[in-house]
Amino acid sequence: MNLQSLRRLFGNIDYYLLIATILLCAIGIAAIYSSGVDAEGRLVSNEYVKQLVWFVIGFFLLAGAALFDFSRFKDTSWIFFAIAIALLVLTRVAGRVVNGARAWIGIGGFGIQPAEFAKIATVLMLGRYLDSAEYDSSFKKLVMTGLILSLPLMLILIQPDFGSALVFFPAALIMLTLADVDFRYILFGVISILGIFLFLSLPLYAANHYSQDNILNVIIAKTDILVLIFVIILFIAVIAGVGWLKFKKRYYYWLSYAFAILAFSIAGAFAAHKLLKPYQIERLLVFIDPSIDPRGSGWNILQSITAIGSGGFWGKGYLQGSHSHARYIPQQSTDFIFSIIAEEFGFFGCLVLFALYAIIFIRCFVLIETSKDRFSQYIVGGILGIFAFHFMINVGMAMGIMPVTGIPLYFISYGGSAMWSSLISIGILTGISARRYSA
Amino acid sequence: MAVLKKKITNRIRILRALVVVLLAIYALNLFSMQILRKQLFTSEAERISLQSTRIPAPRGEIYDRTGRVVLAGNIEAYSVYITPSELPATKRESVILLLSKLLNISAEDIESKLPTGRLTSYGRVAVAKNASLSAISEIAAHIDEFPGVSWTSQPLRDYADLRSLSNTIGYVGSITRDEYKLFYNKGYTLEDLTGKAGIELIYEDLLKGKDGWIAKAVDVHGKDISRNKARIEAPEPGKRLILSIDSNIQKIAEDALGKRQGSVVVLKPATGEILAMATYPYYDSRVFMSDNAGQEYLKLLNDPQKPMLNRAYQSSYPPASTFKTVLSTAILEEGFISPDKTIYCSGEINYGGRSWSCWIKKPGHGAVDLKNALAQSCDIYYWTVGRDYIGVENIVSYAQDYGYGKLTGIDLPGENPGLLPTPTWKEEKYNDSWTPGDTMNLSIGQGYMLASPLQVANMMAMIVNGGVIYKPHVLKEIRDPGTGALINEVQPEVLQKSSISEKTFETMRSLLRGVIVYGTARAPISTKAVQIAGKTGTGEIGLKDRWHSWFASFGPYDAPAKDQIVVVTMIEASNPWEWWGPYAANVIYQAIYAGQDAKTAAATVGVKLDGIAVGGRRE
Repeated sequence: MNLQSLRRLFGNIDYYLLIATILLCAIGIAAIYSSGVDAEGRLVSNEYVKQLVWFVIGFFLLAGAALFDFSRFKDTSWIFFAIAIALLVLTRVAGRVVNGARAWIGIGGFGIQPAEFAKIATVLMLGRYLDSAEYDSSFKKLVMTGLILSLPLMLILIQPDFGSALVFFPAALIMLTLADVDFRYILFGVISILGIFLFLSLPLYAANHYSQDNILNVIIAKTDILVLIFVIILFIAVIAGVGWLKFKKRYYYWLSYAFAILAFSIAGAFAAHKLLKPYQIERLLVFIDPSIDPRGSGWNILQSITAIGSGGFWGKGYLQGSHSHARYIPQQSTDFIFSIIAEEFGFFGCLVLFALYAIIFIRCFVLIETSKDRFSQYIVGGILGIFAFHFMINVGMAMGIMPVTGIPLYFISYGGSAMWSSLISIGILTGISARRYSA
Repeated sequence: MAVLKKKITNRIRILRALVVVLLAIYALNLFSMQILRKQLFTSEAERISLQSTRIPAPRGEIYDRTGRVVLAGNIEAYSVYITPSELPATKRESVILLLSKLLNISAEDIESKLPTGRLTSYGRVAVAKNASLSAISEIAAHIDEFPGVSWTSQPLRDYADLRSLSNTIGYVGSITRDEYKLFYNKGYTLEDLTGKAGIELIYEDLLKGKDGWIAKAVDVHGKDISRNKARIEAPEPGKRLILSIDSNIQKIAEDALGKRQGSVVVLKPATGEILAMATYPYYDSRVFMSDNAGQEYLKLLNDPQKPMLNRAYQSSYPPASTFKTVLSTAILEEGFISPDKTIYCSGEINYGGRSWSCWIKKPGHGAVDLKNALAQSCDIYYWTVGRDYIGVENIVSYAQDYGYGKLTGIDLPGENPGLLPTPTWKEEKYNDSWTPGDTMNLSIGQGYMLASPLQVANMMAMIVNGGVIYKPHVLKEIRDPGTGALINEVQPEVLQKSSISEKTFETMRSLLRGVIVYGTARAPISTKAVQIAGKTGTGEIGLKDRWHSWFASFGPYDAPAKDQIVVVTMIEASNPWEWWGPYAANVIYQAIYAGQDAKTAAATVGVKLDGIAVGGRRE
């Protein structure tokens, strides 16, 4: 890379994106400082210093990612993917258990969460595949996407970290949408996954809310009845499929479609039920319905909502968030960082925060429309999916309209791995954007 | 420039619209929360907080086999807590000092329990688990001086004076961080106690029970402001366990063992139930309930006598001459040598360039057949038949039939499997081939051979049962904690079944009876209360004038198997030499079958429990 091209690179940098990122990180560090202050105004945590250090290191990672021309070296994508998988396996074997999940790996006090980096690596790998598969059928693209996702997904699910595992779906969804995959297939995938979650949690939910021997649980306990139901549904799907082929009526097509989804969901839920340990399914349930754990997650949400609502328009002022400082909310600096911002900076502060996020999202869309190759489009789409999903889940959780999953608010939440992986993502975006006019 | 299909451009539009809608919905929701409903949340923030209090479940009680003697129960005790976030830094030192005086714990101990650095939650930390009522009244009277201090009354483990049963029942202690992670999903909290050893550990799931809760809303001052009744979830007490241990026999065994390093096993061969398991030295489960359990634990751990061990099943030793039972069985079953054929014992033989002397030294036992060789425990006989007639493979095979070298599967943690050496084992371990000398050592239960007293007891059980060993167990019944109704009764489970003929076992029983009638144990086994059979053993461990002293036995001789008991005594060579193994067994049988206590029984048979003088080796 000569001086001229470097100069051009700097000239074409997306400064909107960078400035929004830096401002978000600054807000984050300020909020983390605030979360470390107790009700009597004493600073009891130095997390903000660590976050600052991570931000500085992360900025170098950002620069490095920006300088690396991913679209030119797209054939190296599998290396990143392989490293990420190896790290996840290593975590499985030698990882540290924090908060009940084996998601950390490191030496001494230093460690990373490989799942965070696996997100980017998987997006790169999937982007590489979709780029090479332009003329493949929608069906093949969907199956291959499923195969690529399944490896990191499985490794993250057994940690267990449901939140992080979920992030892969919106990323893949946006990428498939950009890859011209037939909407019906995308819809099939989305509904099937929702179906698996539904069928997996429904019996537990029923057992929790009604008596143990309610009709649903009685049926589920009998494997042969379950198999019979499955066979009937599959049979209807196949018959309808045959009907469609023979009579070419749309009616048959959608009937077959619906029952195939149903059969797929039941089979998936059954397999997941066999694979997952009871306590893992229990956690899944709390994720879906926090009210079954009113002393745990349910309590956090109540406190978080109260903190947000009491913020008002202008907020209580920096370091003045009395509800947050009373430490009613655990994981104040990570999962529930949004509530302290909302309490101290109010509606106005939140709108500023939303605006900064909106800038990042909009720049992603601009990039997708203007980038010079399909590979870059996919990567940007995937990163957009990750960012938007993290935002949606984390902020939604703090406001009590999304289930509780421990996934961080990117740029803001305390945590080195999330900070680095989000800054690397911004670096990739910056690199793609700076090169979009070069030949 | 990018070339995008029209279709894709449309899709991007839809995606963009979705993101905009998402942001708009969130902004509207915030508007609703922070502007429209601000008042509601503001007053809520000032007023309410939810507090839930745990009602700990009483741990399951443990009884002896009669169901009348409580070995482990519960008492109400007061736990004292500090909520660090409510304790101002300025008062921290004075509060800790006051508490340390009141509760009789060092200030450092309290300090070490409080978290350092960031206080992430409003959680409280237990600083004492066994505070007296007077201490609690003192705190309550001067509560202003104790900001952040609270207390609860909760059931605490209360052990009887268990003596060496401590090593079988175990103890409970505060949950460790690692256990907490493991048990998190079972609903454990950091205030919980978990079983750490013995029955308490193995049957944790049965004993634990399920904690209850009271959830109530409180204001910032901790005042209860629940509009409706507090939500209560009643605790479920842990299950009541009935052990197979007979307190009476246990006490007899302990008294007979006395202050000698070693152990006694009494078991019921027909079921595998352990009737008594004495071990010395032992610890006291109760010290783990005191507030300085940590120091006591370290003291026990560092004690060179290892009082934490249950020597009856967690230690293994060369079984010595008791092992001659195995070779005798082999001879009777397969006729490797005619039981009537005599071998001449001159007190010494030469083999492999060294001299092997029989325990009796010169001039030896003379010509002995199987019957006399077992009765007199003649080493030369067994060296010769083991090496020249039976061979190591057959010895190993018969020893395996008796369960040696394998775990007995007793329902207690940390069992020692012993060691049954084989040529392959030696090859792998020492990279050296098996020699006839090794076979000779094995033939008299010496050399590499190791067995726990429980395994030796199992050998006797097989002889009594005529070819079956039932898995030894300590748990007898699981009962409902409230009503005492039987929930589950532990059924005898076959551990080992042998194809050796009943006739062989019958002969073995009479040969072992011979040991008492005209053999080595004739003098020490003097009880008239019951007829017994057994085998002495004297283990060489390289000391000149001290040996491990074994006695493996069963009785009443000739009674149906279901009425017999097996008694194995094992006195380590670390004690002054008294040949106490058979003497202890003598006292135990006398006491059990004459209905006496150990002291009376000892007086009846004419020995002193606290020691006798025996000159030199008697077997």
